Amino acid sequence: MKPSVETHNLTVIYDKKPAIWNIDFTLPTGKIIGIMGPNGSGKSTLLKAIMGIIEPNIGYSKLFDQDLEDVRNKVSYVPQRQSVDWDFPASVWDVVAMGRYATKGLFKRLSKEDHRMIEESLNKVNMTPFTNRQISQLSGGQQQRVFLARALAQNADLYLMDEPFVGVDAATEQAIINLLKSMRDEGKTLLVVHHDLHTAQDYFEHMVLLNSRLVAEGPTSEVFTKDILTETYGGTLTTLSKVASVLQEKDFPMRHK
Amino acid sequence: MEFFTEILSFFTFSEPNVKVVFWGSLILCSISGLVGTFTLLRKRSLIGDVISHAVLPGIALAFIIGQQKNPLYLIIGATITGWISTYLVDYITKHSKIKNDTAIALILSVFFGVGVLLLTHIQHSGNASQSGLDQFIFGRASAMNMSDVWLFSIVGTIIVILIVIFFRGLSLLSFDENYSQSIGFPNELLKLVLSITTVTTVAMGVQAVGVVLMSALLITPAACAKFWTNKIIPMAILAVVISGASGVLGSAISYTYNGMPTGPWIVVVVSLFAFISAFIGSKNGLLKKHLQRNKNNTKILRENTIKLFFNPTTLGETRYNFEDIFAKSKMQRATLKKGLNLLKSDKLITVSNDIFTTTNLGIEEAKTIVRKHRLWELYISRFMHLQPDHVHDDAEGIEHVITPEIERELEKELDFPTKDPHDSDIPY
Ligand SMILES: Nc1ncnc2c1ncn2[C@@H]1O[C@H](COP(=O)(O)OP(=O)(O)OP(=O)(O)O)[C@@H](O)[C@H]1O
Ligand SMILES: [Mg+2]
Repeated sequence: MKPSVETHNLTVIYDKKPAIWNIDFTLPTGKIIGIMGPNGSGKSTLLKAIMGIIEPNIGYSKLFDQDLEDVRNKVSYVPQRQSVDWDFPASVWDVVAMGRYATKGLFKRLSKEDHRMIEESLNKVNMTPFTNRQISQLSGGQQQRVFLARALAQNADLYLMDEPFVGVDAATEQAIINLLKSMRDEGKTLLVVHHDLHTAQDYFEHMVLLNSRLVAEGPTSEVFTKDILTETYGGTLTTLSKVASVLQEKDFPMRHK
Repeated sequence: MEFFTEILSFFTFSEPNVKVVFWGSLILCSISGLVGTFTLLRKRSLIGDVISHAVLPGIALAFIIGQQKNPLYLIIGATITGWISTYLVDYITKHSKIKNDTAIALILSVFFGVGVLLLTHIQHSGNASQSGLDQFIFGRASAMNMSDVWLFSIVGTIIVILIVIFFRGLSLLSFDENYSQSIGFPNELLKLVLSITTVTTVAMGVQAVGVVLMSALLITPAACAKFWTNKIIPMAILAVVISGASGVLGSAISYTYNGMPTGPWIVVVVSLFAFISAFIGSKNGLLKKHLQRNKNNTKILRENTIKLFFNPTTLGETRYNFEDIFAKSKMQRATLKKGLNLLKSDKLITVSNDIFTTTNLGIEEAKTIVRKHRLWELYISRFMHLQPDHVHDDAEGIEHVITPEIERELEKELDFPTKDPHDSDIPY
């Protein structure tokens, strides 16, 4: 099977300081893959570099063995919710319709089929009652679902999501993860930036652990270990102890045989 | 009074030059409203300020090179220096430790300073046709002539066409630049379209408004429009209308008092629009609140009146004459009459020979409001642990607020109850 994402020595430097450094991995297809690491470890930067939003200083990435330009309509990006101003004059429908622009381009009109896909996407995230709502009047969790619906409307094979669980309540988080799982079951690949160590193991089958450099990448059972987590989050005692308490609470194996 | 007759005489185009001023300011300001919509949405207001100050040296240089006030030369000169200034701001921000706002202040003052120096130089050189160059500081619409207006309309048409063609891309770029890039939209091209149109608009607009106040004309109309609408296309159109109207009114006032610069007057008018918008803008202004209150009161009256027709035994049709229903109600006569009229116009009741009879629609409506009332009574007695005799007043208010969705949730949560806390039936 073709790998979903492949990076080769991917390096992005802001102001002479590398945000990500020599990231080199090959990710499988048809899985929910977590990207984890502390704040400022370059998770968003990694996604942006893969999506061509930032030009990497060194290295390159391939998607489904091809260049981004050739598979762009098979890939969908969900930015961090806080990266846009929600006071923009647009309705929920307007934002989800942007997902269709990916295939329609700058000029083509939206067809009946496009409208159907927009409605369907809204339905999948349970936002149909809010279709005409102004986006400035949405709660954080609703904003997040609008972004997801926009990505769904793109009907891609690979989704790169930047922190889709931030600021959503437990019920919404559960609804979103169920949605992601059903997408995975349709053979889609989901690359998800995530913060919460408690839930990581339940959500992801595969993981990328990042701290400016690649700390580890592989099936969750192999890389979600105390040593690797310590190395990823290490540095301050508070995070260390947080990891320790997670390990304790969740009772997962300290070491693998 | 004299003031108004003079302003009016402007709009009768009695003097030939008035036509030029009218069309000139209308075109310039309308375009600036359109372009400014995107400047505002992209949060580039400060860049608008840089450009408007930076066109000054371009105008002066164009004059020095051309030795005359040729509108085309001036616009080209203004566009070039305006352009360089935005480029420099972006370059400095990207490639140095200097922050964006510092870079803006720096470039703005340097360009404006050079512009003023060059203007002073021209004025001292004694060139006969130099007169009217200082108009660019505060703007003087009356200094325009017909060839200016022709040029403005041609360039303006091109700007409008560009923005209309690329509207989808420009909107997405303004809302979510990263996403726009991720779906393969040509962000660089879109940004180019925006900066070309902005710089050109400013380069032309300084004729009427002057470099000092041009950025206010760029931003304020869009900011006004945003008070009134939450959709980008109406917002852009409204910004154009507000801006165009301010341009014409401002020019009219300044024209009437010959010798006054145009820019300040246009900005005074547009600020007036801003004030009005802030207070009564439909989205969250005071007028909206007032209208909403009226709407609520009407709804309450309508529902309270139909409730009087509720038939607790048959749940069916009821007929009353006015005195009967008045005796049942606790309303004033006039209020009740108003309520009955509402019901009549909504076809909830019919009237013949002073007898009011409920229609099928009315029967349902009466049932619904009683049901909501009793559901709420039950809900609060159960979940707020209130005694049955304490729940009525609360329900009198809340029954008008309960939407069909909330009602369904209440029913589910209470497991489709049949009796309220006073042991009355809940009508379905
Ligand atoms: N546009 C930028 N210019 C300069 N430095 C930046 C820029 N964007 C990010 N950085 C820096 O690069 C590093 C990585 O940032 P990035 O946003 O990728 O981290 P992250 O892992 O997504 O963090 P978070 O968990 O807070 O979202 C940080 O140190 C950040 O300060
Ligand atoms: Mg991030």
